[in-house]
Amino acid sequence: MVSPVLADKPTATTEPGRHSRRPGRGRRDHLVAWLLITPALIYFVGFLLYPALAALYYSFTDWNLRTTPDWVGLANYKDLLFDDAKYPHFWQSIKVTLQYTIIAVPLTMVAALVQALLINAIRRGSNLFRLLLFLPVVTAEAAVGAIWRWLYDPQYGLVNAVIGLVGIPKQNWLNTPELVIPALAFIAAWQCGISMIIYLAGLKGIPSSITEAAIIDGANPWQRFRRVTFPMLRPTTFYLLVTGVIAALQVFGLVYVIFSGRGQSVTGGPEQSGLTYVLHLYLYAFRYDAMGAACAMSFILFVFIMIITVLQFKFVKQEAS
Amino acid sequence: MKSARLIPVYICLVVLALISIVPFLWMLSTSFKHGSDVYTKVPNLLPVDKKTGEFAPTTENYDYVLQIGGLGKAFVNSVWVCLILVPAKLLVDALAAYAFARIPFPGRDKIFAVLLAGMMIPTITLLVPRIFVTQSIGLFDSQWGLIVPNVASVLDIFLLRQFFLSIPSELEEAALIDGAGRMQIFWRVIVPLSVPVLSVVTITSFIFHWNDLVWPLVVLNDPDKYTLPLALQQLTQTESGRAYYIMAGATLAVVPVIAVVMIFQRRIMQGIAFTGLKT
Amino acid sequence: MIRRVAGAAAGVALVAGLSACGGSSGGDSKTLTFWMYQDRTPQAGQVVEKLRSGFEKANPGVSLKIVKIPKDDYNTKLGSAIASGSVPDVGILDQPLVARYALDGTIAALPAGVIDEKTYYQGALDTNRVNDKLYGLPVDHTCVALFYNKTLVPTPPKTWDELLATSEKVHADNPKVAGMVVPKGDGYGAWMWPGVVAGNGGQMVDLKSKKILWDQPPAVAALQLWVDLMKSSPREITDSDQAFANGLAGMMISGPWDVATIKDQFPDLQFSVAPLPYKTTPAGNIGGEDAVVFSKGKNADLAWKWLAFLGNSTNNTEFAQAMGGFPVNVAAAERDASTFGADQAAFLEQLKVAQSRPPLPQWIQINDEVIAPALEAALSGKSTAQQALTDAAGKARALLGWTA
Repeated sequence: MVSPVLADKPTATTEPGRHSRRPGRGRRDHLVAWLLITPALIYFVGFLLYPALAALYYSFTDWNLRTTPDWVGLANYKDLLFDDAKYPHFWQSIKVTLQYTIIAVPLTMVAALVQALLINAIRRGSNLFRLLLFLPVVTAEAAVGAIWRWLYDPQYGLVNAVIGLVGIPKQNWLNTPELVIPALAFIAAWQCGISMIIYLAGLKGIPSSITEAAIIDGANPWQRFRRVTFPMLRPTTFYLLVTGVIAALQVFGLVYVIFSGRGQSVTGGPEQSGLTYVLHLYLYAFRYDAMGAACAMSFILFVFIMIITVLQFKFVKQEAS
Repeated sequence: MKSARLIPVYICLVVLALISIVPFLWMLSTSFKHGSDVYTKVPNLLPVDKKTGEFAPTTENYDYVLQIGGLGKAFVNSVWVCLILVPAKLLVDALAAYAFARIPFPGRDKIFAVLLAGMMIPTITLLVPRIFVTQSIGLFDSQWGLIVPNVASVLDIFLLRQFFLSIPSELEEAALIDGAGRMQIFWRVIVPLSVPVLSVVTITSFIFHWNDLVWPLVVLNDPDKYTLPLALQQLTQTESGRAYYIMAGATLAVVPVIAVVMIFQRRIMQGIAFTGLKT
Repeated sequence: MIRRVAGAAAGVALVAGLSACGGSSGGDSKTLTFWMYQDRTPQAGQVVEKLRSGFEKANPGVSLKIVKIPKDDYNTKLGSAIASGSVPDVGILDQPLVARYALDGTIAALPAGVIDEKTYYQGALDTNRVNDKLYGLPVDHTCVALFYNKTLVPTPPKTWDELLATSEKVHADNPKVAGMVVPKGDGYGAWMWPGVVAGNGGQMVDLKSKKILWDQPPAVAALQLWVDLMKSSPREITDSDQAFANGLAGMMISGPWDVATIKDQFPDLQFSVAPLPYKTTPAGNIGGEDAVVFSKGKNADLAWKWLAFLGNSTNNTEFAQAMGGFPVNVAAAERDASTFGADQAAFLEQLKVAQSRPPLPQWIQINDEVIAPALEAALSGKSTAQQALTDAAGKARALLGWTA
């Protein structure tokens, strides 16, 4: 994904490399170029293009991984969308995923923006704070899941101990349907480090002359933020929103780790309240033996993400014009 | 005067930083606790004996997860895979990116556009067919099965290409006139000028592959070949209810990445700011 | 141009694939690949190794390769291995998967003469039976029973009424302690629940007439029992890590594997195990491991011989204990029963009345996606037990294509 920082980089038509063509080198140059891109192309064909086409084919079949796939046309797609008996939790998984996206993405962005604004306001110690706030995001999902399951423990967990200090009663975070998504979203916000760094870069990119002008005009800090800083950060915010939504729609590793273990199967938390789209897909692929349906689910997701991406470009164009 | 105004800012930052690192500290302290000492009514950040109240850290949890839990072996495996995969991937990506950025050849932009479109396919879509490809080239259930199917990244090619495009072409033209070949130019001109972006791609791909759980989960069967996240996931399942073991395992998985981030933090922060990378 | 490159790349992949296949399938020395769950303890690993070398010694020229895979990832990995064509010859298979794998021909039926059915416990053998044919052999069996904290619960309840009264008393005596860790509406709870239904003389389904029975009175009463238990067993207590072992709950339902864990980790806890309370009939549900022979594997004769070897009266106790269960060989079990220790007696008692899951290929999905949510709907109070189970029965009928 490209950041707004890149948006003003040279585009294909103006790139300098284009004009370095020199007579006589052409043929050899082409050969060299092909040699250089061959490893990447083999990878692309073998591990991206072919798998994508194969998955598309399987999405039109009934297949349990063991027997040969049976062609069923659009039946998987139709059943997923309309047959509630065959896939009782398909729509539930969409609901969970949208809820997660709606809560986690803004929460993460607000956390990132607040942290970036605070760090941007100081000089001494800014590197240290930046580092400390960044660390959660580089932690392995397997470890994040293990750590937070322990933190959210209703009796011995640190989270309940902390909220107890301000008089909030103990909560059963990961076992109360209404609290599962907020609990997961909080973990996402805890891991907002990358968004924070990108916001920080955006803040550094605001010319100081503009901010100073606002100060001279007598604007207080809140007004400066509302009228100057935030509008200037709009491209960054927009970029983080889109990439954040795309990532949130695919959330899997964290829920898989959080709700597995204890000798019980991963069925998506209490009342399927943590059954995200990709976890649901994974269960159909590897637990309920319905690889064809799982592939169909993945293409529905693909189309959804494509739509979001296209909308993003439309918006960006409008912004530009 | 000015610094007095900043006091609330610092207070907020300290609170946020605490939220950010206390989970790690708790992980660390739990990993040094004896058995049932982890279950205290009032959470204790220090490894203290529940009965005597004495400070009594233990390293036996680490002994256990390293030996019996298999995390020692997994640690070595993870290091080995990353040592081969990360440089190999960087080379494949950088060479392709160089060709896409600098060498005009017929169909270049079309091929590149196709690659970019491939970036949008959700990974989960590709998971199962990728297993077949890996199997058909004989790499299923082997560490090479973690390396070869990950040996290039369209995103990285894209980022490197963007950077290479920003390098002034005059430098290259001069070398071309001097009769230098493309490879010489790549190594002598492009690589030295691209150290910042090359290092950020290296570090982020290290972090990604060090932490990756899903691909090793489906490709590796033999526990002797497990990487650290997989071994940790396995530990959380078999030892569920023994938080001290699990936290010791988590510590082992987390510490190397934190070390890398601390050492290279300047590069990483600059790199993310430049690329807008979202792992 | 792209097409040409793509073609070339596909060609390279093809050649590489062919050579890989050629390399792996050759050789006529008799090797057997056996997949099983990863050892639970280092001692279990030694037992498995001893049996492996014992089998090789008894069958000269045979080399037995054992691949050990963590239990929770086993089905995912087996699925990918089968799909990619690298099947083991023989391996452990989760009980509810046997029917599925048998019906699509992935595993082979047991040939006549390999074993004498009378030497095995019927309940364990039945977990391999599909359409009246055996498609595998049990290697161990296990079950869940009632763990109780002796300090909080001096005498274990025998009936549902006693269970309810005990739970209420424990919670009334100390509101910070739950009566019982009531199973939840998840895959694990749904696995245990049929045993409770059977304790009221009920059944889950009637396969012959293709009828769902879990919406009938015996099953509804079984779910109502759990719902009633919830009142004296708040979840914010029981969902805590190791609530029973920490003395926060008077009772829980679990298997023999937890006995050693708790003793080792909480030496101060005074606890014991009793058979599950019942209403009309003592009953429970059976768990444990089956082993099957894959149709596409090699050396099927040898594979069955290995499974018979694991199940014979000499070896079965050792292997079953290594897997964390009890012997399925009647002679072995009767001979060694006294050596398992007093804590295990309740499980052995329970096993005598344990019943297997319905051998339906869709059972795992029904367990996870239909029964578990129904249990949860009732336990959380969002629906009555009857309503939840009636809805679930309707869903399952639609899924199975059974008429009401």
